Amino acid sequence: MLVFIAKRLLWMIPSLFAVSFLAFVLIQLPPGDYVTTYIATLAASNEIVDQNTAAQLRERFGLDDPMLIQYFKWIWGILSRGDFGISFEWQQPVSDLIWERMALTLVLALSTLIATWAIALPIGVYSAVRKYSIGDYFFTAFTFFGLAVPSFLLALVLMYIAAVEFGQDVGGLFSPEYENASWSFAKMVDLFSHLWLPVIILAVSSTASLIRVMRANMLDELPKPYVTTARAKGLSEFRLLMKYPMMIALNPFISTIAWLLPNLISGSVVVAIVLNLPTAAPLLLQALMAQDMYLAGAFVLLICALTLIGSLISDILLALVDPRIRLE
Amino acid sequence: MPNEILSRGVTRRAVLGGMAGAAALSIAGRAFAAGGEAPALAQLVKDGKLPPLAERLPKKPMVVKPFEKVGTYGGSLRRGLRGSSDHNGILRMVGNQSLVRWNLEFTAVEPNLAERWEVSDDATQFTFHLIEGVRWSDGHPFTADDVVFAIEDCVKNTELYSATPAQLAVAGKPVTVEKIDDHTVKFTFAAANALYLENLATPLGQHPTLFPKHYCSQFLPKYNPNIEADAKKAGVTSWTELFRSRCGDIEIPTRWGNVDKPTLDPWVVKEPYVGGATRVVMTRNPYFWQVDTEGNQLPYIDEINFGISQDVESLMLNVISGKIDIQERHISVLANKPTLSQNMQKGDYRLLTLVPSASQQCQIYFNITHKDPAMRKMFADKSFRQALSIGINRPELIDIVYFGQSEPYQAGPRPTHPWYNEKYARQFTEFDADKAGAMLDQAGYKKGGDGFRLRPDGQKVFFSIDVIPTLYPDLVDALELVKTHWAQIGIDMKVNTIERALYYTRGDDNAHDAQVWPGPGGLDPMLDPRDFFAFHPQGSRYAIPWTLWYTSNGARGEEPPESQKKRMKLFDEARSTADLDKRGAVMKQIFDIAAEEFETVGLCLAVGGFGIIRNNLRNVPEKEPDSWSWPNPGPALPQQFTFTS
Repeated sequence: MLVFIAKRLLWMIPSLFAVSFLAFVLIQLPPGDYVTTYIATLAASNEIVDQNTAAQLRERFGLDDPMLIQYFKWIWGILSRGDFGISFEWQQPVSDLIWERMALTLVLALSTLIATWAIALPIGVYSAVRKYSIGDYFFTAFTFFGLAVPSFLLALVLMYIAAVEFGQDVGGLFSPEYENASWSFAKMVDLFSHLWLPVIILAVSSTASLIRVMRANMLDELPKPYVTTARAKGLSEFRLLMKYPMMIALNPFISTIAWLLPNLISGSVVVAIVLNLPTAAPLLLQALMAQDMYLAGAFVLLICALTLIGSLISDILLALVDPRIRLE
Repeated sequence: MPNEILSRGVTRRAVLGGMAGAAALSIAGRAFAAGGEAPALAQLVKDGKLPPLAERLPKKPMVVKPFEKVGTYGGSLRRGLRGSSDHNGILRMVGNQSLVRWNLEFTAVEPNLAERWEVSDDATQFTFHLIEGVRWSDGHPFTADDVVFAIEDCVKNTELYSATPAQLAVAGKPVTVEKIDDHTVKFTFAAANALYLENLATPLGQHPTLFPKHYCSQFLPKYNPNIEADAKKAGVTSWTELFRSRCGDIEIPTRWGNVDKPTLDPWVVKEPYVGGATRVVMTRNPYFWQVDTEGNQLPYIDEINFGISQDVESLMLNVISGKIDIQERHISVLANKPTLSQNMQKGDYRLLTLVPSASQQCQIYFNITHKDPAMRKMFADKSFRQALSIGINRPELIDIVYFGQSEPYQAGPRPTHPWYNEKYARQFTEFDADKAGAMLDQAGYKKGGDGFRLRPDGQKVFFSIDVIPTLYPDLVDALELVKTHWAQIGIDMKVNTIERALYYTRGDDNAHDAQVWPGPGGLDPMLDPRDFFAFHPQGSRYAIPWTLWYTSNGARGEEPPESQKKRMKLFDEARSTADLDKRGAVMKQIFDIAAEEFETVGLCLAVGGFGIIRNNLRNVPEKEPDSWSWPNPGPALPQQFTFTS
């Protein structure tokens, strides 16, 4: 097992290089560069950038260098001194910008994961065990509805109701007084009192598919002989379900942990923008639109790193949970 | 009396109907009689943490006549920004403290930090007399040294500004600034620069008052030999980066990213605009140098709270639920008007009318300097452009796309402007498909078998018009209608919706057939004449290579025809003419030539935008110009806005 983990860790290094290079190329591919976009953005409000300033910006950011040189400068900075570069747009070190956002993203991702599982697992098991019952139909219909409504629309509708009907402050993850405060217990409480809305919105759409997966897997397992045997040996129905079929049925849940993070970041972009969440997604989108290369590159790199770590975790968990899986 | 002449000399006499009751300003002729100050500041004075009001204000502070009434202190004003690159949203509200500024009607330049000025007869020398005793927001005096430092040490530092900002250079040479005494500075240009005062009142004219010497000098090698080490310590690669991140520049986000930088603005940054910020909070400047007519120190409002929305829809939601006190930025498009009008009661706000300073809602720029010779020949054919113009059914377009709120228009100053040119504005706007067809026949574009016309070389007449859908959705609708009108006269056009950086790159590479953009210059024809001749290297999209020739003094680009060169010469002449009547005469010649050449095709007069003001927010003019040069709402003086409850 340890050898396996070590090997996987070593493989991550070339993967990260490849990914970082690809990300950098992709970010550079659209026409124009940061300065073009900057001018275009200001022109959108009919605001004018001094012509001399524009030329000088390009020179200062080294945008006239060939792309390979820009890439190597960037990656060398990261390797040699952990310096992710300077965000063009904000003139701030990229590392100042990303960590808190990534932390909040992880909090949101984990909360959504827990919520999704907490809803999907019991309902999936229930639907399988009570196949074609009224409850099964009810939950199925309900979750299909959740799957069909786009989450940004749900977000807008909920926000509208909260804002216009109840005069509630919605959007964001903190109340105004905690927004720029340093971390404290009170701030954590405030965070969790705001977190439920995005978590529900995000969980609604992913719950439906998970329920179906769980239900189908359970239905596969339930008629199997070992279940009958266990039942014959007098195991209580609940223990029986939890101990065997459920563990096997969990397999697809665990193996998708790795995708969860990139999915939550890319899948929640629109919701995060609508709800004004201070997570990584809106900042990444902005950075991409502004062609703020170092900032966008750092995000992509981190998300990729997290995906690789996530897939390692799911492999380890799978080995632990499913006795049929062997590392050799 | 030179001051009198000059103050009038810069008047543009543009008339904005109904914009009465300007907040007139004057310098108090008497010694300052102690007025009031904000309760919070009075408490600080009592606690000994702040000097008394009389020591914080100039001896003769600038007196602002409130728009409606003398206000009361207090309140937090809420306004919205968008996620990134929205620093100008702060600038427009707060950062308007230049040497001079616009009056409310956008017709004349008024004193601001300079209480008066003289200009030499040849418009090369400008002498400004600063208000005595003004202080930066940290209490340090603002003097002539700061102005000299800002220009001579910062802006003219070639490592910091590899090229001098265009406003401060004439004939390729940067301005020279000298200190006459503590409160007098003289700007000397290499050649006449009659428009300098007007330029100084625009946002790009803020350099002279942007950099406090006592603070920013620590980021210059001249004053701080250890600067490179300091830069390294701060985690940036060079001292220029450190300077920019600490002292900012006119139009970059870092201007609002440093809470330590002293300013002359009514409010100073408390929670900065940095990457990832979810709001920006600004708090009153205890040393602000303006008072109301009763001697009370401005601003009235304690705090400005800019919430950052990533999405315009959520900003709209905040507006209609009454969570925004004044907003026009981002929500002022026509499509939002019904929603905003319906919710006036619910959100407890009233509407703010914006008078566009632009001339044209949608200007079509055929690329007269197209790379393909056949296309170039077609677009350069004046009768081709004229035929296309009269082939557009403008009344239908205005009804459908602009809810009837406009009129057919080509280009040039708006009808209310004294330089309005009837021919330039209205020619070829009458819809006449038959006549258009006949003109095209005569120009050699005969109809082919499929009903579409062919060029003399046998190719089908076909071109695309670039438009940015995310930016101007109305222009896409307008073009779709134009497409159907042109199909009737046998012209095939493609509405090419593209992303905005691509739009710019295509323009820069001269790779476009045609592009559209709102045409500026309706109220500010001198400040942005891009439609009148090839003036703007990114904006005069009908002939980008000609503009390069003009801006590089013939070194780059392509030599334009005589009529362009003549207009370029005339504009240079107008720019150096201090006398307004003479300048007007020169500009009118430009409009006559431009009308004759008919280079751009316009659709209709620019439509006004609007915004909202909460009903309890007073002293706000309900009609304002909408312009970057008049960075609304800044010149309406937000420091005298006040809450009634």
